[in-house]
Amino acid sequence: MHPILENRQRLAFYLIAWLPISAILTVIVKREPSPWVEAILVAVPMSFLYAFMCLSAWYVCLAAPMRGQSLARSMGTLGAASALASGAWVLFGEIWAVSLDPWMATPGLNEHYIGTQIAPVFVIGMLLFLLAAAAHYVLIAVDQHREAEKRTLEMQVLAREAELRALRAQIDPHFLFNSLNSISALTVSDPQGARRMCLLLADFLRSSLVLGAKTEIPVSDELRLVERFLDIEKVRYGSRLSIVRNIDPNCNGCLVPPLLIQPLVENAIRHGIAPLVDGGTIRMDVQREGTALEIVLENPVDAGGRRTAKDGAGVGLENVRSRLAKLFANDARVDVSNENDRFQVRLKFPCIQFGETR
Amino acid sequence: MTPIRIVVADDEDLARSLVREYLKESIDVEIVAECANGFQAVKAVTELKPDLLLLDIQMPRLDGFEVLELIGRETNVIFITAYDQYAIRAFDVHAVDYLLKPFSAERLAEALDRARKKIARGESTAPAALVTEARAPGTRPDRVLIRDGTEVHVIPVTKIDYVEAQDDYVCYRAEGKRLLKQQTLADVEAVLEASRFVRIHRSYILNVDRLAKIELYAKDSHAAILRDGTRLPVSRSGYSRLNALIG
Repeated sequence: MHPILENRQRLAFYLIAWLPISAILTVIVKREPSPWVEAILVAVPMSFLYAFMCLSAWYVCLAAPMRGQSLARSMGTLGAASALASGAWVLFGEIWAVSLDPWMATPGLNEHYIGTQIAPVFVIGMLLFLLAAAAHYVLIAVDQHREAEKRTLEMQVLAREAELRALRAQIDPHFLFNSLNSISALTVSDPQGARRMCLLLADFLRSSLVLGAKTEIPVSDELRLVERFLDIEKVRYGSRLSIVRNIDPNCNGCLVPPLLIQPLVENAIRHGIAPLVDGGTIRMDVQREGTALEIVLENPVDAGGRRTAKDGAGVGLENVRSRLAKLFANDARVDVSNENDRFQVRLKFPCIQFGETR
Repeated sequence: MTPIRIVVADDEDLARSLVREYLKESIDVEIVAECANGFQAVKAVTELKPDLLLLDIQMPRLDGFEVLELIGRETNVIFITAYDQYAIRAFDVHAVDYLLKPFSAERLAEALDRARKKIARGESTAPAALVTEARAPGTRPDRVLIRDGTEVHVIPVTKIDYVEAQDDYVCYRAEGKRLLKQQTLADVEAVLEASRFVRIHRSYILNVDRLAKIELYAKDSHAAILRDGTRLPVSRSGYSRLNALIG
């Protein structure tokens, strides 16, 4: 959005700033023996026309950003744009003066004007355009700063939410009660197994609590959490659950929001493996693709099964999408496909290591 | 005393082994079958006619409610669930017994005692209304289940051409098959999606996707011609409902 046009207050200030400019222009245009009123009639409409023309400096500012381009090139673009704008403006001024001439008390107004004032008006036009461009640069910088601040705040809020979600995820009632039931079943038949399950559960709950409190964690930490989770689910599902991992160790340092992958694995089990009589295999790929990190989770789905899209998978994915968008803006992609009885979620976003800036 | 014959249905091995362990002590209980999914449970109930079914809600193929729908009121049921807020509310409303995982041996014994008394009195444990009430709102089934002996037919809703009332039964027509289910047409109407199915006649519900054209064959009476050429009568109110749906 245009930094001046979108904001009424700014637009008002901007137009007020043009009042003294139109006064100066009046003085320049004024030539004896024509009276002041004629000079005003030429200069004031011209000023305000130019006020609006100068709003187009915004596009020039966007095309010639101060950062990421050589100064000379920016200056060249600005110079050309200001000459063009000023030229057009002077031409409009001429036409305006000529068309006013027949009604003027002292004919020949256009002659005074055209004859003597083109050069100074043209130079002033260029300077005014450059001034407007400078103002636009400042406003764009101010807006960008505000936007960045807003994003930081939003991220803090989201991190808070993630923490809460993490707390809730630990006590996902199905997972927790079923795990406790498994422990209860193991106590007599396999006491060692029961103890192991207790420890796994405690470990999982503790690490999701710790990780959930952070804003970003290395992907290796998240994968460790996923493994804890899978260890527990394997006790419940036995041979019905198998996993194929394809993890590139080069990814380990990449930062991800905590509890990004684990809920996806949980969904894959709940909506993919659990409804299948013989279970199936979950595929988990974590790969580097150039500077990007790509995470793929794939699970089989029951072709003849009930469609229960409403019970959480959709919400979970939406969550992943919004968290990645907040962190990486447009650089994050979340693709979902459901073909040939395989459900696949593919996340792709820039790999940023600890200490790097975004 | 003859032992009560029990079928245990739970997809987790460990969960079943726990029930087995709990019941090992009781002499008046006999586990006649263990099932790992809904189809097996329906089959076991049909073939073995147990006194009691211990039924986990979350299972592959058919969930506990679908199993209940298919076995009707033939067998007493004690539901088992880890967590299912809607189901638990419905169980409480209908005084249906349920076990929350993890449960103790005492809690299971208590539930068995109550079930034993109900069986002795000839009471049924699970009313039909439970099936619809126990599901989370907004989870309309997208398939129809019909039991034919020990076999279960699963018909995706999109495959249904039309449903016809026949005395105490309704007849589903789908993929060239006729499948009977003991149900009223009003029940069917309540279950099927109103945006795709319309009651065109006292005895017919039509899948609008199958409609080829509507013919006027006498004053005020129409016939729906389906894509496969079948003619179905359309009543006057059915005609206006059909028009409202297809514009």
